[in-house]
Amino acid sequence: MNEAMTGKEHTALVIGGGPAGIEAALKIARGGYRAVLVEKENEPGGIPLKLFSSFPRWENPSDRIGWMVNDLKKNKQIEISLETTVESAAGTDNGFNVTLKNTATGDARTLDVQAVVLATGFRLMDLSAYGEYGHRIYPGVLNSLEFEERLREWSRGLGKAPQAVALIQCVGSRDRSKGYPYCSKICCMYSAKQAGVVKDLFPEAKVYVFYIDCRAAGKGYEEFLREVIEKKHVRYVRGRPAKVLPEGGRLLVRAEDTLIGIPVEFAADVVVLAAAVVPHPETAALAKMFGASIDEYGFIDHDPRSHAKCADRVFFAGGCGFAVDTESALSQGAAAAAEVITLFNDNG
Amino acid sequence: MDTDFYIPMRLDEVESPLQTEIQKTLGIDIETCMECGKCSGGCSNAHIFDFTPRKVIQLIRLGAEETLLTMDALWVCLSCQLCVDRCPSGVDIPRIMDYLREKAHREGYRPSRPAVALFYELMCSCVERRGRVSEAPLMLRFNILTRQYLKDLTLGIRMFLKGKLPLTAGKVKKMDEVRVLFASWKRRSVKRG
Repeated sequence: MNEAMTGKEHTALVIGGGPAGIEAALKIARGGYRAVLVEKENEPGGIPLKLFSSFPRWENPSDRIGWMVNDLKKNKQIEISLETTVESAAGTDNGFNVTLKNTATGDARTLDVQAVVLATGFRLMDLSAYGEYGHRIYPGVLNSLEFEERLREWSRGLGKAPQAVALIQCVGSRDRSKGYPYCSKICCMYSAKQAGVVKDLFPEAKVYVFYIDCRAAGKGYEEFLREVIEKKHVRYVRGRPAKVLPEGGRLLVRAEDTLIGIPVEFAADVVVLAAAVVPHPETAALAKMFGASIDEYGFIDHDPRSHAKCADRVFFAGGCGFAVDTESALSQGAAAAAEVITLFNDNG
Repeated sequence: MDTDFYIPMRLDEVESPLQTEIQKTLGIDIETCMECGKCSGGCSNAHIFDFTPRKVIQLIRLGAEETLLTMDALWVCLSCQLCVDRCPSGVDIPRIMDYLREKAHREGYRPSRPAVALFYELMCSCVERRGRVSEAPLMLRFNILTRQYLKDLTLGIRMFLKGKLPLTAGKVKKMDEVRVLFASWKRRSVKRG
């Protein structure tokens, strides 16, 4: 470690303990600076901890995050602050004076930091606007994250084996009338993964994915998708289902097969809705607190000169900027860390 | 008929023994089809097909065997191989069409349009007599029997002037082998009734 690095104490505040935040904190620490990682939940890890299997390699997402969390806990340059939120921030000469609040005890403390990394992640949209799909009305209709939990249960032999599963893509995404004209980017791949997992667990089950486009842009992604269709025998039907109806204790998905132009129905035990990816509501408040701007959907906008920067001494990574898969979240976390380290190296 | 409107196909009840059959007998895996439609886009006869090549593949997936064996496309496909030549997944559609034609014939289905059936008959009788197709007599006979006396006249004359339409075509050398082929086909047809 050179003199410039050890000469002064510099601390970066990383908000959010998902893959992007963890990667940013680890890299900042390895760059020789201190990082305080703030996580509102009671354990770091974020969304990957909730997932069963991954694309494009069918790995256990918890493994990799688990190794990273171990590194995080061992690193003396990193302070992990769980069940903590950022209450307020005031600008100083070279950074921010932030107030952190422990949500469990109610204790507050202040801290001087010289840089901030926002990594608050994403969540899935509230599906109550889609009455036609019946989320939270029929117990068999789940959003994708709820379905990941179901997959974990099934893999442990819990719950009733399904005879048929329908996965509906673009629920919210690419829907102007609901205010989400954008593509959520990750759903095509995770839906293929989920469908493949169901076929692995229950080879006899009929698994249909209703899609309007399959967007498999990534290394090994198209091959993964073809494997799911050709080797695992998941069926893909082009068409956005119009309705989910209860029928004799099961769920009837009604759609058009737009490639052949006939109305189709599919009776399923579980219907999975790939809901649009949206930012956490607190992201907007945090952005405002640190002088960053957000777009019309609440995702953080980047500085014209850097994809990882959103305001002076403020950087961001992962799902708070837009929908990301774990790989991209990690890359963005590393990019934000590089910005922080460069800033600290440059101006002491 | 009140049964004709809006009966959605029940995908969860779809079985396709035909797909398995094609996989087993022809070794063609139609799951590799990406439904891109390049086959239909290039098909030389798609404009007169009731089901384009892409839809044929999809009908197989949907297990619509009856539709496939009675469809018009089966008899107006030229087996020109453009579809398989262009298919990114190499799905051998002409081989599937051949298989379906054989199956349709075996199960007693005939082309729905009488003219198409007639053309097949005339062509086969021509091959039976000469071992090859002689275009001019076939064309004439077909046009007379379908009462389209002036059809193809201008094209016919132009082709004739360019020497592309010989009035007679010679026989192939090994007519006895052709006769054996036809005899065996007829024996099998008779057996099936």
